[in-house]
Amino acid sequence: MRALVAVAIGLAAALCVVLLFALVELPPEGPTSPRPLLTTDPGPRK
Amino acid sequence: MRRRASLVLLSVAVFLAAMAPTLRWYVFPRVAKVPSNEYQVVALEARPATLLDYSTLKAREVEKITIVQTLKGNVEESKRIERGTDRDVVVWDALSYVMGPDGKMVSKIPERYVFDAHSQEPVNVPGATVDGDRVTREGIEFKWPFFTEKRDYLYFDAQTRTSAPIHYAGTRTFRGLEVYYFEQTIPWTQVPMPKTMPIEGITPELIASTGLTRWYTTKRMFWVDPVTGAPVNGEEVHREELRGAKALMGTDTVTVFAGHVKMREDFIASTVDLVSANRVGVLLLASYLPWSFAVLALLLLALALWLEHRSRRPAPASAPGAGPGPRPAPEPVTPPV
Repeated sequence: MRALVAVAIGLAAALCVVLLFALVELPPEGPTSPRPLLTTDPGPRK
Repeated sequence: MRRRASLVLLSVAVFLAAMAPTLRWYVFPRVAKVPSNEYQVVALEARPATLLDYSTLKAREVEKITIVQTLKGNVEESKRIERGTDRDVVVWDALSYVMGPDGKMVSKIPERYVFDAHSQEPVNVPGATVDGDRVTREGIEFKWPFFTEKRDYLYFDAQTRTSAPIHYAGTRTFRGLEVYYFEQTIPWTQVPMPKTMPIEGITPELIASTGLTRWYTTKRMFWVDPVTGAPVNGEEVHREELRGAKALMGTDTVTVFAGHVKMREDFIASTVDLVSANRVGVLLLASYLPWSFAVLALLLLALALWLEHRSRRPAPASAPGAGPGPRPAPEPVTPPV
């Protein structure tokens, strides 16, 4: 019986992680870059 | 005490065993995505190249042609489109700007590519365009999916506005990375004139009225990192012709552009660095952590069972006479009279 409880606790913790990912929104990725679509040679890449 | 420890270990083992597939098939697809605010520039060159000189209407060899390809994530458009779908959408506004050796524009083709942030499948919504023409896409463009497979993919060709298979042609080592090599050949196909022509006053309609048609063929090659699906190198053997030119130019066919276009060395180096860094994160989530969790879960389970077994074993006899057997009669409390 105690072993079953231990298994249930482990599964519940995993379920909590799943719920966390389902409910929590990932942080926003930021706005559109202000850099333009290039019409000149960008020069050598550092 | 041992019993309690074995139960705690069992709990942790179950947690890790459950988390291993969860990380790979639940967390990874939600976290591994192309960011919607991506900004990338790639410069490609063809050295030498053949280019139509519009002043003489004759093709001539030039030292080089430069193609600057910019990809810019349009965050506002992605959010707007996401409201109508239940998926993470990325909108790339792209521009392929071709320059002659003097830096003057040869052609420019703007494009709007809308796709699923994780699978890279195209999302066909109004607004997906090539050079102002609305297109319906099938297959991928610019990037392969995470964990690219050794198989052919449908690849969208912006010039013909159609998709055709791009063939997996083997695994190669490129700058220390194991990559998949893909190749696609577009046979000679009539394609629309670019909306923006290099000479002011000449419009696609004007050219079309002379009976000229634009034809194009290309062989494109990509070296793709299979983990991130990002190409680390790209080349194209590209040819464009104007046909039906006899009345105007004296010959039936005139070359507009021909050359072997290759990614510039400095951009290859920076792309390899970027992809090498990104692949660690992808592998961590999709492979290293799930496998470590699975192995650790088995070890902890074994340890839990071993502790449980130890706790159930009878304690060894510590002194002669001790242990199970008839107990000696207790001493009388009051001495016998």
